[in-house]
Formats: sequence, structure tokens, C-alpha cells
Amino acid sequence: MLGEDGLQKWVFYIPVVFLCLFFVVPVALTSVWSVFERTTFWMEPGFTFFAYQNFFTSARAENYLFSMIHSAWAVLISFVLGFPIAVFVRRRVPRVAQHRVILLFILPFMISELVRVFAMRPVLGRYGIINNFLMQIGIINEPITVILFSPLGVIIGDVLSFLPFMVFAGFLSMEAVQNYIFEVCDDLGAGPVRTFRDVIVPLAAPGIFAGSVFIFVNGIGSALVPIILGGPGAVNAGLIVNQAIVALDFPLAMAISTIMIATLATLLLIGHRLFDLTKILEPIN
Amino acid sequence: MRDDFSSEWGYRAKWAYLLTIVGALLAPVFYVIYISFNELGFGARVYKFTFDWYRVVLGDTMLVGSLKWTVYLALAVVATTVPMGLFSAKLYKRTRHKVLMVTLMLAPLFVPADIMGSALLVYFKHLNRTFETIGEAIGADWMTAWFELGFLTALIGQIIYTLPYAFVVILITMSRYRPQQTEAARACGATAWQAFCQVEFPQIRAGVFSAAAFVVILSFNEAPRTALLKGGFDTFSNVLVSQMLNVGMSGESYAMAGIMSIVAMTAVGAILIYTMIRTERLDRRARAAAEPVMST
Amino acid sequence: MNAPSTSPTIAVEAVDLSKNYGSVAALRSVSFSIESGKYFVLLGPSGGGKTTLLRLIGGFIRPSGGRVLLHGHDVSDLPANLRPTSMVFQSYALFPHMSVVGNVAYGLKLRKLPKDEIASKVEGMLDLVGLAGYGMRMPHELSGGQQQRVQLARSLVLERDILLLDEPLASLDAKLRKDMCLELKHIQEKVGITFIHVTHNQEEAMAIADRIAIIANGRLVEEGSARDVYERPVKRFTAEFVGENNLIDGRVVADAGGRLKVDTGFAAIAVDKRGSAAAVGETVSISVRSERIHLLDPGAAAKDDIQVIPADYVEAVYLGLTTSHLVRLANGSEIIVRRLSNTESDAKFVSGQTVSISWRTENAQLHID
Repeated sequence: MLGEDGLQKWVFYIPVVFLCLFFVVPVALTSVWSVFERTTFWMEPGFTFFAYQNFFTSARAENYLFSMIHSAWAVLISFVLGFPIAVFVRRRVPRVAQHRVILLFILPFMISELVRVFAMRPVLGRYGIINNFLMQIGIINEPITVILFSPLGVIIGDVLSFLPFMVFAGFLSMEAVQNYIFEVCDDLGAGPVRTFRDVIVPLAAPGIFAGSVFIFVNGIGSALVPIILGGPGAVNAGLIVNQAIVALDFPLAMAISTIMIATLATLLLIGHRLFDLTKILEPIN
Repeated sequence: MRDDFSSEWGYRAKWAYLLTIVGALLAPVFYVIYISFNELGFGARVYKFTFDWYRVVLGDTMLVGSLKWTVYLALAVVATTVPMGLFSAKLYKRTRHKVLMVTLMLAPLFVPADIMGSALLVYFKHLNRTFETIGEAIGADWMTAWFELGFLTALIGQIIYTLPYAFVVILITMSRYRPQQTEAARACGATAWQAFCQVEFPQIRAGVFSAAAFVVILSFNEAPRTALLKGGFDTFSNVLVSQMLNVGMSGESYAMAGIMSIVAMTAVGAILIYTMIRTERLDRRARAAAEPVMST
Repeated sequence: MNAPSTSPTIAVEAVDLSKNYGSVAALRSVSFSIESGKYFVLLGPSGGGKTTLLRLIGGFIRPSGGRVLLHGHDVSDLPANLRPTSMVFQSYALFPHMSVVGNVAYGLKLRKLPKDEIASKVEGMLDLVGLAGYGMRMPHELSGGQQQRVQLARSLVLERDILLLDEPLASLDAKLRKDMCLELKHIQEKVGITFIHVTHNQEEAMAIADRIAIIANGRLVEEGSARDVYERPVKRFTAEFVGENNLIDGRVVADAGGRLKVDTGFAAIAVDKRGSAAAVGETVSISVRSERIHLLDPGAAAKDDIQVIPADYVEAVYLGLTTSHLVRLANGSEIIVRRLSNTESDAKFVSGQTVSISWRTENAQLHID
């Protein structure tokens, strides 16, 4: 606006500049660093695909793939469990209360992921409440061990960590949709399944997709869940990167990061082509 | 919304489902808190309520020290991120490249913690070496490793993490603000800064405070990025993680987890209550305004 | 005895003003000047650029080209708070967290005037706008009309020379709009400063303006006194926009005795030339206001200063004070004839009947664009 000259005008660009300097540049440079040569404690500028070779020929690549599959399951389960809630809130809860109800899902998000994941141990473990309960009512005689320190444990952990996001993303993407569209569906006699398939899903698609990508990426990238719930040998990309850093193999860490970011960028681009993700932003405008 | 023809029981069932899910998400945390008050810790047959574990945690100088670092970091993050959220929200409102800007502002949400932390770690190390080499070459003593791993680097990592959230919350608050107010203030003779402080800020204050509280909680809870970027000190969550992985889950671990949860819930509860009181007050005002007044 | 010559002072001058938003030109090369102490109205369709123009004068946006001069000084680079202007907005411009007194006193407090001076000025201004005693109310407790008065008080109390009003009555209901409209005029006459008022409502413009500028499609179409703009529009656009005008297109076939003969294809119409540059062979249009047309029996004879053309009667629409009679010309275009309602004459003709319509030659306007 007229009236801010000199320093005043530029101050608004600080966050953007900051993000470029400390986000865009480092992330972009991961690809560059991934081809550097490894030294004992650090790395040297060079050009070698050794780190990539290392990754693809070791068990790590397999684990990366597995973690992607587990994450995909987590996304699917989150969708099945969480999206109907978003639809329900958007359609059936009075408009004024909608935001408050959605806020209910912010509550778990506000508690550290660390604590929430940590809290799964006394719940899913050998002596945890689930096993205790099931044994008490006599369904099983021995504790189920497959739900903790296993891929299933990781999936459960992921779902519980990120379910709120699916609810938010789904709700936000339908927020801009006016009520009358739903009323028209009812008017036209469309049954719940058809309404869901032909109207709700397409309208909410950008939000569902963004939420899914978020969950998926955090599933394969957040080291916390496999570390705490996955048991020995359970890894995902984030954990491998962490281990690489601890082992001072920086090019390897950068290589895996590059692969992860490439995966993410591809997913977002596909999503944008298919769904036009910018629609999610309409409520903000 | 709830049309007269849909079943009452369907509605109730769906509500029950919703609450079950919320319950499932929160129950484990409450269980942890429950355990933290148990004298004999997890798995004990007998439950005896005690504050002992909390006393141990709060009496441990190392733990309290880490708590201090957590608080310092949180304060520093709020002091930097909230103004940045304000600036970026204002920039967004007037820029023509909205899509590009929003992509940039929200991108950090899609880069997982460990990846971001590692990338920044390597970045800082490179920066340090570069500055040192340049400094030696041109004989500038003052040019040393500015980005030595420590408070500053951990701070930068957390700013990148929390900025998208601050941006979105403040943007949503600002969308309810009418820009004519600022123009009217300018027309009355106010400078841009005066107009902001005296007219705009009082109206977006609540949203800014929500954003600040949000950022504090996020920072408080953050573990992975801080672990990679912190250098010499430890935050509360860092200690908890290392305990979990190395020592196993002791009574203290539960108490620490309990502290983090209780703080977070209190903070969120406070914001929610404050927001609800405010909405009540505004609703009352709106109802008063909607009453018919003589056309004069 | 020689009357002292008074050259009017120019309060506002726009020199070649343009404003672009990306590739969209909101304003193109607009130039005009406004005399001090006049009530000047910018009238035009929505999106035509009049609000942009006002905001350029007020200092809320920077011109892409051209200059703004206030009292002879180039203020194009000055922000709003440094210009001798103040502004009344359409709505939502009162500070909701301050009382009426707080709002009105805001500008004075910024100037750091002593408290008692502020208090007395505020009181005086609230009196002027008819809100004495409302000082402690909050904006949300006021009606729309009262809110606009507070805005007025807030702007006038600053004692600046130029007051800008951006569609100030648009969010009020019709009756209130009429009353407040006149009040604005009275206040302006009392205070004596220059008012620049933006509106898309013609009646409003007519009621209060000393001079009107028609702004459309980013350009200044025409400028003149209210009477001139209404009775003698120069541009075709003005004729179409202001008042209820009927337009007939044709080609000039003769030019004699201060009049032009225009061939419309179905009739020949004579129209006063009045210094227009129209030449024989050019396409022109003629506008006649609906209230200047008379309905006659078919076959009525034309006279030297009365034009008559045949038409088919369509229907009468009763509107209370007036009645609109619709007739159709040979080329298919519709003409609206507006007369004061009269039970007898309103029912004189029936649909499909051939009639004649006539007007005094001098009441038609010639337009070349």
C-alpha cells in the first residue's frame, strides 16, 4: 500500500527470504550433497553415485519399499476410519458447531507425537490394556504380540498419529462447498452411496489427496514411530537417514533424503494435475 | 442440516462413532497419565496414587535444566515466528503470486522432521566451513562459524517447522478483518504502523494469540529436528526420547510424558475456553446489533 | 461599478491519470479539475473506475501514470495520511473497538491536540451530524444511517479541505438514502469544503451534485452540471446511462439552417446541430428523453419545430406517479413514452394500434459517438 517506503516495504518479505535461505536451499542442495564423496567424518565435493548404489543394493532399499507399503496401508485405514467423520460433521452437524467439533481432533494433535506414540506401548504391549482386557474376558489365553514391535504396530501407530489430519483435510476441502449441493443430492433422490461416490468424493478430492500425501510422507519420514513401536530392524526412510547421520555417512543420508523428497514432489505433482490442489485454499482467500 | 427424514438413530450412531475415535486417540495418553501417578509404575498389580514420580522429575537438576532449555527455545520461537507469520500473511494479501507463495509457505509441512533436520544439519556444517575458509582467506577474525550447532540452529529448525502453522492461523484470522479499517485510519492521519497498532491489531489480537499458543505447544513437543540441530544442550523431549530408547520406560519417563501432556492440554483448554467466551460475547453483540433500530 | 473578479480556486486536478492492475487497465488517461467548495459527483456503472479514481485522489493507491494535484501541489507520491483529504467509506469502516467519541476523536488524538479541545470539537461535530448524546455508544449499537453519520463526523472534524465519499449511501435502504442524501448536501453547504462523492445511483447524483463526471470503462466520458448532463448529454453513453433516453440511429443526409436531417430508414428526423462536427454521410444517433415524447393519433402532422414519426402501440405500464407507454418503431426498436398518470389518456390506445409519437425538435440530442 502507498505509504510504506524503504525499509517498511521490504520487511514483509523477511519470512519468504528466510524460507528460501533455510528451507528451499538446503532441500535443493540435498541432491547435490548426495553425490559428494564420503570422508571419515564428513564429505568432500565430488560426483559419485556411491551412496545411491549403497542404498539400492542393501537391505535399506527393501525396507524403504516396505515402509512405503505400510504407510500406504496407514493412509487407507485413516481414510476409511476418518473421512466418514469429516463428511458427517460437514453434512449433519449444525454449521456453527462444525468448527468446534473439528477442534476436538486438534486435541490429540496438540499432545506431542512422542507421547502419543510412546503411549501405544502400554496399550498394545504384552501386558498392556488390550491384552489384559482380551485375556480377562477370555477371548485369548496368551497375549497377542503381533500388534507391537511389528509392522502392524507401526501401521497402528501411524494411523493413530495422523488420523486427525485426514479429518481436517477432508473437512477443509468440503468446507467451501455450499449446503445446497447436498440438498440437491437429496432432492434428486441420489442414495447415500451414489452421493458419496459422485458428489462428495470429487469435491473433496483435493483435500483427501493432500491429507493422504501428508500422512504418507510423514509415515515414511517420521523416525519416531518405527523407533518406538516397530521393534528391531523396523525402519523407514526417516529412521535410515537418522542412522546414517549418526554413523557420519552424510552422503548416504542426503541420498535417501533426495529420494524421499523426489517421491514427495512426484506425488504432489500428480495430485495437482489430477485434482488442482489449490482448491483447498479457497476458504483462506 | 439435519433433515427431518433422516433417522435419529443414524445420527446418534454417527456421533457415537465420532466420539469413539476421539476417545481412541486420546485414551492412550490418559492411560499414560494414569500410570504416571502409580507408585509402582507400569504393569504393577496394585495401584497406589502418588505424586512421587513428578517430584523425582522436578527435583532432578538435569531434567529441570532441560525443561529450561525447552522453555527458552519455545519463547524464542514464538518471538520470531509470530511476527513472521504476520508479515507473511500481510504479504499474501497483497501479492499477485498467491499460489507460488502459499506453496512456499506450506511446503515445510510436507517434509518430514528427520529429513528436514538432516538437510539443515549438513547445510549448517557446510556454511560454517565456508565462512571459516572465507574468513581465513580475507583475514577477518570475526567471520567464524556462525551456524555452529547450538541454540541458533535449533531455533532455525523450529521456525521452519512452525511457520506454516502460524501463517495459516493468522491468515484465517485476518480474513475476517476489513481492510477499510486500515484505510480509514490512514485517512485520519495515521502512519502504517499506527494504523496497525491502534486499529488492526486490537481486532486480530485473539487470532495472533492463538497462533502464538499453537507455536509454543508445537515447539514444546518437538523432538526430532531439535535432536539433530541442538548441539550442546538437551530439551525435555530429547531427554525423554533418549530415556525411552536407552533406559526403557521408567516411572520418571511416564511422569515426564505426563508433564508434557498436562501442559499441552492445559494450554489448549485455556485457548478453547477463551475462544468460546469471546464468541459468546461477540454473539451477544451481534444479536444486539440485529435488533431493529429506528431508521434515523 | 466593477464586480471584483474571482477566479475560482482549483481544489483537485487529475492530469492524465491511469491505473493498471497487471494487464487490466482500471483507469485510462483521465483528466479533469474540481473547484473548491463544490459538490462533485463521480457517477458511473459498477466496475467503471470511479472508485479507483477516488482512491487515487485519496492516496490509497499509486497511479500507474499521470499525476494528482491537490491545491496545486503534486501529491501523487504522498500516502493518505499526508494528504489534505479525508474519506467516508461505504461500510464497515468504523473502528468497532472504540466508542463513537473514540472514533471521531481518533484523528485529533493522532495530532496530539489537548484533551479539552478534542472534546469540544467532537461534541460540536456530533451536533452537526445530528448525533448529539450518542457519544458513548459502540458502533455495533448504531443503525446503518447513524454509522455513516459517525464516519462523516470523524472525517469533518479533521477540518481538511477535501472530503471523499465512496458510495456512502449504498448500504442504506431507499428511504434512508433519500433523506441522508439531502443531509449530505446541507452539511456540505454549511461547512463549505469540497466534497467528491462516488455513486452509481443517478437520482442521488442529480439531487446533490453541483457538477457530475461520468466515469465508465476507465475513462472520463463527460463532465458538466447536473442539468447539462441530464438535459444536454453530449456522448451517446451519457444519454444511455443518465435518465430514460430513447436512442434512434441513422445517417446524416442533409445539413441546413443549423439543423441536420437524419435518415433512420423508416423516417426522416430533423435535429439541431448545435455546433456538432457531424458531417453528411456520417452515422449518428439521436436521443430523446421519454418524458419529452407525446403520444398522438396516427397521421399527426409534423411542424417546423415538432418531429413526428409513426409507431405501433404495444402497452401501457402503470407505475404510480407516471405511466410508461411502450411503442414499437418500424425498424423494430422500442420507444418508451413516459407521461404523468391519467386514467383517461392512459387507456386511450390499444395494443397493435398505429399511433404517432412526437417531440419538440429542440428536445432531441445529437450524438456522434
